[in-house]
Amino acid sequence: MKEQIQEILEEARRSIPSCESDKNLEELRIKYLGKKSSLSGLLSKIGTIPKEKRPQMGAFLNIVKKEIAQLIEQKKLELHEKADALKTLGLDVTMPGRPLPIGAKHPLYQIWEEIEDIFISLGFEVAEGPEIESEYYNFDALNTPSWHPARNPQDTFYLKGGMLLRTQTSPMQIRVMEQFKPPLKIISTGRCYRVDKMDPSHLPVFHQVEALMVDEGVTMSDLKGSLDSFVKRIFSADTRSRFRPHFFPFTEPSAEIDILCINCKGEGCKLCKNSGWLEMGGAGMVDPTVLEEVGYDSEKYTGYAFGLGIERIAMLRYGISDIRKLVTNDLRILKQFQ
Amino acid sequence: MKISYNWLNKLVPTHLDIDEFCEKLTMFGLEVEEVVQPGKKLDNIVIGKVVSVEKHPNADKLSLCKVDVGKSEPLSIICGAPNVVKDILVPVAMIGAKLGDFEIKKAKLRGVESFGMICSEKELGVSDEHSGIMIIKQDIEPGTPFADAMGINDHIIEVEVTPNRPDLLGMIGVAREVAVMLNTEYEHPEIAFEESEVKTKDEILVIIEDAEKCPRYCARMVKGITVQPSPAWMQRKLVASGLRPINNIVDVTNYVLLEYGQPLHAFDYTKIKDKTIVVRTAKDKEKMMLLDDTELKLHSENLLIADTEHPLALAGIMGGLDSSINDNTKDVVIECAYFDPKNIRASALEYGLQTDSSYRFERGMDPNGLIEVIDRAAQLIQLTGGGEISSGVVDCYPQKIEPKVLPLRVSRTNSILNAKMSADEVENYLNNFEFGTKKTSEDTYKVMIPTFRPDIEREIDIIEELARCYGYNNVESHFWINRIDNRQKRTVVRLAKNHLISLGFYEVNNMSFASPDDLDTLKIPENDFRRNVVELTNPMGEQFSIMRSTLIPDILKNVALNLSYKFENFKLFELNRIYLKEREDTFAEPTYLTGVIVGEFDPFYWKEKQRAASFYDVKGVVESVLSKIHCSKNITYKVSHQPYYEKDSAADIFLDEKKIGSCGIVKDDVLKSFEIEAPVLLFDIDLSNIIPLYNEKDIRFREIVKYPPVLRDIAVIAPSDIEVGMIEQVIKSVEPSIIKDIQLFDVYTGRQIKQGCRSLAFNITFQSEISTLTDRYVDKLFDNIVKKLLHEHQIELRQK
Ligand SMILES: [Zn+2]
Repeated sequence: MKEQIQEILEEARRSIPSCESDKNLEELRIKYLGKKSSLSGLLSKIGTIPKEKRPQMGAFLNIVKKEIAQLIEQKKLELHEKADALKTLGLDVTMPGRPLPIGAKHPLYQIWEEIEDIFISLGFEVAEGPEIESEYYNFDALNTPSWHPARNPQDTFYLKGGMLLRTQTSPMQIRVMEQFKPPLKIISTGRCYRVDKMDPSHLPVFHQVEALMVDEGVTMSDLKGSLDSFVKRIFSADTRSRFRPHFFPFTEPSAEIDILCINCKGEGCKLCKNSGWLEMGGAGMVDPTVLEEVGYDSEKYTGYAFGLGIERIAMLRYGISDIRKLVTNDLRILKQFQ
Repeated sequence: MKISYNWLNKLVPTHLDIDEFCEKLTMFGLEVEEVVQPGKKLDNIVIGKVVSVEKHPNADKLSLCKVDVGKSEPLSIICGAPNVVKDILVPVAMIGAKLGDFEIKKAKLRGVESFGMICSEKELGVSDEHSGIMIIKQDIEPGTPFADAMGINDHIIEVEVTPNRPDLLGMIGVAREVAVMLNTEYEHPEIAFEESEVKTKDEILVIIEDAEKCPRYCARMVKGITVQPSPAWMQRKLVASGLRPINNIVDVTNYVLLEYGQPLHAFDYTKIKDKTIVVRTAKDKEKMMLLDDTELKLHSENLLIADTEHPLALAGIMGGLDSSINDNTKDVVIECAYFDPKNIRASALEYGLQTDSSYRFERGMDPNGLIEVIDRAAQLIQLTGGGEISSGVVDCYPQKIEPKVLPLRVSRTNSILNAKMSADEVENYLNNFEFGTKKTSEDTYKVMIPTFRPDIEREIDIIEELARCYGYNNVESHFWINRIDNRQKRTVVRLAKNHLISLGFYEVNNMSFASPDDLDTLKIPENDFRRNVVELTNPMGEQFSIMRSTLIPDILKNVALNLSYKFENFKLFELNRIYLKEREDTFAEPTYLTGVIVGEFDPFYWKEKQRAASFYDVKGVVESVLSKIHCSKNITYKVSHQPYYEKDSAADIFLDEKKIGSCGIVKDDVLKSFEIEAPVLLFDIDLSNIIPLYNEKDIRFREIVKYPPVLRDIAVIAPSDIEVGMIEQVIKSVEPSIIKDIQLFDVYTGRQIKQGCRSLAFNITFQSEISTLTDRYVDKLFDNIVKKLLHEHQIELRQK
């Protein structure tokens, strides 16, 4: 019997100090000291041992009970101290708060909004137009010669019935000019289509922003100034641009726009293929023929236009090297753009 | 600055009615703040002729008068004034007239009736005279309105004078400005008087000790005057301009202040010790007693007008008590000076003395206009108080302040205003302003700026004056913006997107091409509008052969992809165009908003058990998006039969009668064909009909209702096939103006409820905008609701 009591005591000595909560402790108290506890059970069996050993055994039992009670009391105090400490802390501030939802705009549309806002702050109005266009607006009104390769079905999507999917946002410029007299300062933005195999730098569906300003006395300096204002805002204040002579049917003189590589600042790197410059889009002074086509006096008014690819800008800004990443809609990507 | 229109018209006839004139003046830069018509207050006051005066039978001091006011019978009026006699003309306030707040009524004075009142000048507000009734000297027909007869049918125009224009603080300056405005001439008052043998310079010596603080000081003498009340015409003008008449000397200085804007000061000659005026700074801690009985302790920055011993005045701000004019004053010294504006401002601020005088000196007076002003004052003092004007002005002006000369380019003026003014026009305007001009080339002038215009300091200041002449509203407006306005669409799109994002949605971007098979997979019937697809002639493969006519297939493909990457709970949306063929060569590109909820609606939270999203979650998203874009008023929901939704698990969304979308639980087999194995909730809304309705200007503040709302709960047992929306309509219809809100808060079916029924509990808000609702009235409405539900729809109140 003594061994049994000793065993219970040992167990209590182990279990009580490792107890974590009041509730747990109360369970242990019932287990060791309650009416149905093993100690109580042993006490009731005390009559079964020899009479002369009874007082000794009884006293031992009492000592054990006392020790267990003490252990419990001590633990109780400890727990309460801990609880008080927690209480002064208020709560466990490291535990996560209620998570509220966060989503994100698609990176392309984030950039699109930013572009719109920059141009709006520069005094441009925003025009959107139909993506399903006629040959007249997409090509003829923009002074595109009939032999121009862009008109080929290898380059342009045609629809049954003769319409086409616009290859640029420029048709909207014509529509606006037909409707309003100068001065005019607009951007047109939106989806455009070209027959292009999907590869790291091409998609058949892409987005463009095109700026157009027409007024008396608009010069190529205005073109450069507004373009520079834009690229400095969308990239960084030290971004510069340069113009390379080029051919576009609706501008004269026409140019391709490069910006100083935003990665190496002109030193040469992988992004710019060691040239120090990044190709950004096309620009030029609106061809007098185009102005006459919409009924403007091309002697009185001059204008400029430039067009940029929104995907291209988004890729440069975010450091995305494969344009297809912008249409995969993989949450592992989208979640990066919160 | 208060301008009497009658006075102004004497100086510069405008030939304009008052409204026209005020409009012009405001547009010229002198903003009219208020126009008052003092004569208006004198309605029902007419000229009367006293035809008889008798003693009042019961009162010694009262007279019983008969007064002819142009009517068939003379009026009986009791008058207490000592100066009422037969045959004089007097102002009569008839019954109904108002003198201030006092209305004239038929009265009984000691048993005798009186039908009006004979007034004093003070009672009529024309001067301070109150010793007797006003006697009118001119020959005027009895019955003539008093205001007309006295020429006080005036308009007092209160204009805001900007702080840079001290020259407009006097009538002459205003007349000059008005003359420029009307391209006409104005008149200065005629100044003429005889001077006596006595030379002013023998009578008074002026010494300026600090010429920086006082560049010029002029003095004149009028000897042997009588201090007395000033004449009525002068008092009237002062009162009209808000000044209180005191005596002729003070009134003249005030009158000249009104005329020229230049403050003057009058000293009693006998109080000036040693006949010497010293303009000096104060000694430290020097004391002086001001006119208003306050004592100042001065310091060396304060400028004083003193005699050889004591201060006479705090220069430009206020006179001293000792040297002021009193009733016995015989000889007057008039001061007319130019003080440094900065010094006056500092002293006035320091002692908290904002006077009419300091107000003007602070802004800068005309140093070269003093002689005309002092002569005018001498003339008026003589006119109102007699005496003799000593000969000459003592003029202490150590360093003459020369007018500025500024260059002006006509071309520059035109380029700033986008105007085409000729050099002659420009010169003419400048001369109207009394600016001297000297042409130095075809395009340039040297412009001499008179010293009364301290505000003109640079060429651009002159151009501003020319702009006012040219007319601000004649400048052509050269504008760009606000013609191609797509803000409406941009705003709706951004609001909707931002809202969805804050609900945890991720935006996707899919290309516009689609495969015709997609429509079959969605089980879209052959006659559905989405079958009117746009076909490409040169597509990049069969799966890209049409333009998509719905955003649903792409977003379901996005779901499948992301499930394959082990995302279990997520929300996606796309906002883009779809493409429809309308006729052979006309196409439509409506904008759609399509979204999905996969898995649990709320983000995982350790404290709570998660739950799978339900129909009400997706409907909640739709409701909140629509309300964010101001489109929730005319929206209704009906059970949807779109083939890609589970049966009885979806709703079609209507805007008025037009179906604009749907939301609900996507059918299992549809999901399977997209290789999706999780439940998906979908919404699909055509924004094209909603965007044109959006108007940010719809947001208007509404006054908060003062009367408290009353809340009541109602629990009913309704057949399960009766929609909650219908019940809400019935409740609302009982009193739409009072029942503001109905909130479902409990739905229960179970043992205690009849088979085929459900228990619904609503919280109803009653509120009136015009009164506090009584319990009895709300009880009545509540009863009506219960009755209407029961009798018209067999919906019973739930027994507790
Ligand atoms: Zn580089």
